[in-house]
Amino acid sequence: MVSIKASYKKMQEMLGKQLSIEQLDDLLSYAKSEIDQYIEEEDMLVIDIKTSNRPDLWSPEGMIREIKGILEEESGIPEYEVKESGYVVKVDSQLASTRPYIACAIAKNISLTDYYIKQIMQLSEKIDFSYGRRRKRSSIGFYNLSMIKSPIEYKVIEETHEFIPLESTEKMSLERILEEHEKGKEFGHIVKEYGHYPILLSADGTTLSLPPVINSNDVGKITEETTGSLIEVTGNNFETVNVVLNILCQVLVNHGAEIYSVKIEYPPDIYIASVITPLLDKEEIEIDLDVVNKYLGTKMKPKDAVKLIAKRRFNCNSIDSKILTIEIPPYRKDILHWVDIAEELAIALDYNKIGPTKWTVLTTGGLLPETESENLVRNILVGAGGTEVLTNILTDPEILTTRVNIDKQDYVKIENPVTSTYSVMRKMIYPLLINVLSKNTHETYPQMLFEVGEIVKLIDKKVVTQSNAAFLFADADASFEDTHKRLNQLLSLLNTNYEIKQVNHPSFTEGRCGQIIIENKECGIIGEFHPSILENNQIWVPVVGFEIELPLIPSLKCKVKSTD
Amino acid sequence: MSNSEKKISLPSEAVKIYQIIDENGNISIRELEKQTKLDRGKLEYYLGFLVTNELISRLEIESHQISLTNNGKEAAENQLVERRITKILKEKVSVSFADLSKLVKTENKEMNAGVGLLKKQGLIKIDKGQISIIDKKKEVNKELQIILEQLLSGETVDTSNFNEILLQRNLASLEEVKDILLEILIPFKEVSPSIQKMSEVSRLTPEMIRDGSWRDTRLREYNLKASPPTFYGGRKQPYAEFLDEVKQKLCALGFKEMRGPIVELEFWNFDALFQAQNHSAREWSDVYQVSNPKQGKLPKADYVENVKKAHENGYDTGSKGWRYKWDPLKSAHLVLRAHGTSVSARTLVDLEVPSKYFSISRCFRPDTVDVTHLSEFTQVEGIVVDPSITFRDLLGILKAFAVDIAENENFKFKPDYYPFTEPSVELNVLDPNLGWIEFGGAGIFRPEVTKPFGIEAPVIAWGLGIERLFMVKNGITDIRELFSHKFDWLRTAKMSRG
Repeated sequence: MVSIKASYKKMQEMLGKQLSIEQLDDLLSYAKSEIDQYIEEEDMLVIDIKTSNRPDLWSPEGMIREIKGILEEESGIPEYEVKESGYVVKVDSQLASTRPYIACAIAKNISLTDYYIKQIMQLSEKIDFSYGRRRKRSSIGFYNLSMIKSPIEYKVIEETHEFIPLESTEKMSLERILEEHEKGKEFGHIVKEYGHYPILLSADGTTLSLPPVINSNDVGKITEETTGSLIEVTGNNFETVNVVLNILCQVLVNHGAEIYSVKIEYPPDIYIASVITPLLDKEEIEIDLDVVNKYLGTKMKPKDAVKLIAKRRFNCNSIDSKILTIEIPPYRKDILHWVDIAEELAIALDYNKIGPTKWTVLTTGGLLPETESENLVRNILVGAGGTEVLTNILTDPEILTTRVNIDKQDYVKIENPVTSTYSVMRKMIYPLLINVLSKNTHETYPQMLFEVGEIVKLIDKKVVTQSNAAFLFADADASFEDTHKRLNQLLSLLNTNYEIKQVNHPSFTEGRCGQIIIENKECGIIGEFHPSILENNQIWVPVVGFEIELPLIPSLKCKVKSTD
Repeated sequence: MSNSEKKISLPSEAVKIYQIIDENGNISIRELEKQTKLDRGKLEYYLGFLVTNELISRLEIESHQISLTNNGKEAAENQLVERRITKILKEKVSVSFADLSKLVKTENKEMNAGVGLLKKQGLIKIDKGQISIIDKKKEVNKELQIILEQLLSGETVDTSNFNEILLQRNLASLEEVKDILLEILIPFKEVSPSIQKMSEVSRLTPEMIRDGSWRDTRLREYNLKASPPTFYGGRKQPYAEFLDEVKQKLCALGFKEMRGPIVELEFWNFDALFQAQNHSAREWSDVYQVSNPKQGKLPKADYVENVKKAHENGYDTGSKGWRYKWDPLKSAHLVLRAHGTSVSARTLVDLEVPSKYFSISRCFRPDTVDVTHLSEFTQVEGIVVDPSITFRDLLGILKAFAVDIAENENFKFKPDYYPFTEPSVELNVLDPNLGWIEFGGAGIFRPEVTKPFGIEAPVIAWGLGIERLFMVKNGITDIRELFSHKFDWLRTAKMSRG
């Protein structure tokens, strides 16, 4: 999901009508967007766009393009004329294995207010971040055309090369920019991986930028005074840099700009031939309307489909009985299959107008035997007086170790936790129940609580998920028999013979702890918690309890689930 | 009718209590408990007779009560530390601090306080580390000790002169006490002529039933107005119980349950669902990576090969695919299940046609925990497969969910986006208080998802925002409450099944 900010007033101006927030929100749904917030004092809408593969929708212009189609105010693929600028970009073959592709256009007669400049910057940032994978796949640059001379060189240069980067007043070497400049620190790692510095140079030697890190402070920005601009997208994917350029050109055209092409001269080891960008060739896709109708449950005729697809800003010029050939707008690369066109048609029809069928797929429903088994255990433990709790499976290593007297646990760890509070997977439940007790010492005793839930552990270096049941009893008068009689009832109702073998366990008092053995297998622990744990957790009454692994109770149908 | 003409039936205990209250004019329940030595439950029972006959009134009051802390209790039982010190010093000429500490059997901190206090009062002297007493006859803090002992025994004591020192030394704490004051409405002597003492028993015994003596006995009425003692029986966690209810409804609609592992291969979480390997949802910030072990084992080779082709060139679906080099190593990475759709993906292997499945699974995403985000959450997801099923049927399924599960006839559909379905749709239901809220999402699995597993029939994938529904139904605004540790809520949350 991508989130953008836009002026409510300006959105209405662009649509040429007054709309309530609710009406606007309804229309935005056709652009897979919704209003998340409206900040009235700032005339500001926060709009969430749900699709991550439609960067053409990440600007008010893009959404309005879509809405105007639905309202039948505009139709088909928007067209504009592209004239030749005579500008050339020469690409260095050293970039072949790093960041070889570039797409450029020139926009003239621009007159953008501060608001729209900010909007275009917002769009560029969102595309760089998400579609451009934080500038690794693609990044955008805008330049003041009047300061640039053709041919422009896109080449590798030595790290001592200097220019004044944006937000700076002094010349810095490329090496220094990566170390000291804010953007250098943020995006420098991409360049470091390349092992060389890509640079854009004007024919007169002026530096345009160090892609994808930073533009030059004097050439590399546009203001309200700018009338002509060079737009450039570099990246490691030919299609991506071109579609991003097309999106930007389309937005500028919406503001009355004239677009001029730029010739990209690739060496043969990068691309087969020179390319004139923007590349506005329209891709085509064929659909069989019978197949689409069957898929959607609709009855569109070819002429309906032609009209509907134009509402979605596609063109359809060729119909051969039920086969339609559809042209895709050059700012979209998300159409991979006819099902994508089927969705466009369904949206144009309006989901609410298509309407639901009274569906019937006759099948028998039911819970899995393992869920039934867990429910059995839950019911017995509720009958035993337990209050059920749900605790986290992803939890705090401290709760699993020091808080229950255990030095080290071989639990599954998370490589990228947000905080250590949620950084390891529980392999036992009782430590989390101790934690619950520690937070409820002001509540009436006795406190009996249980959880039947999933745990994650390693068996022979393989990760498995299984369910355990843990029951704890806390009271001034709590003694071993309070937990023993409940375990006994549980297992006897489950028709399971068991033994308790005395063991030492760091969480429990010596001589007051046993392993639960079923069919000669250790399958759980029972005992009285060590006073040091109670003290450590500030629980001021004795606590007894047990935990048992449900897959090891033969009469239950719980399973150990391996990831492999 | 005047009181004197009306006969009032009272149990004899109630009469006694009436007299006690009358003698005092008014009295608090606590005090009355002490005087009558009756427990609160019985006392309330008898008071009920007096209140219903309008002989006395009840008034809730708040007062401050001084009560001993653990420190204070210890001092009351074992003497104040300074008194213990002087007792030992009286028997010796002089003692070192360390020896004294052992003899007094107390912590250093308390020892220090005791010695400091005695020194300040000029009762001891310390010379080269040796402590000795100055005046062997003088008793230290005798009155304070008496007060402590009286408090411990539960006597009513006027502590007003000592409150400051008791609080300062953390021997006692001042607590706000809620109490009930009983006031006499009609003096005992005015009513006494018309009182009839009842002679009944309160408890039916097994003997009475067996020997038939219950026939000659009148069982005393219970005071049905008295509030019962608090009781907490066992119960299920309210949210877990709600999930049980949802499961039951889905089973009734013909859905079979499916489950999967929590630690998942990226293959099932992403690749099988046609999410490109460089997709932004697969980045570190969006999915938890497992650090030990880092890799798992990929499933059957032909499934892996087909999925690889789906990504690289669309396999034989007619799709363009994502056109990049698919990496099996990336696919074998272990992550925490980020959505329930991974369980659906696993079910695609050997899928029965037709069939309907659901799963309720714990999922994990690296979000910062706040009122709207949890690090782990529950997803209700499922699939429906049938050779003749269409997009309009999918809307029908969502309608059934709105009506049967959200119990809401006001619903609408909006276009949506999932990388693995086309078309995709969002289900909104109209909440009377909150307006339109998102309740679910669905779509038809892209052929790039189903064909690699040999499935030709359309497969509908759906998911429901069940947490939100539970919160709306129960007026919960903070999502953290779903996993609340508060016993207060766990024990008393209202059951909403209906």
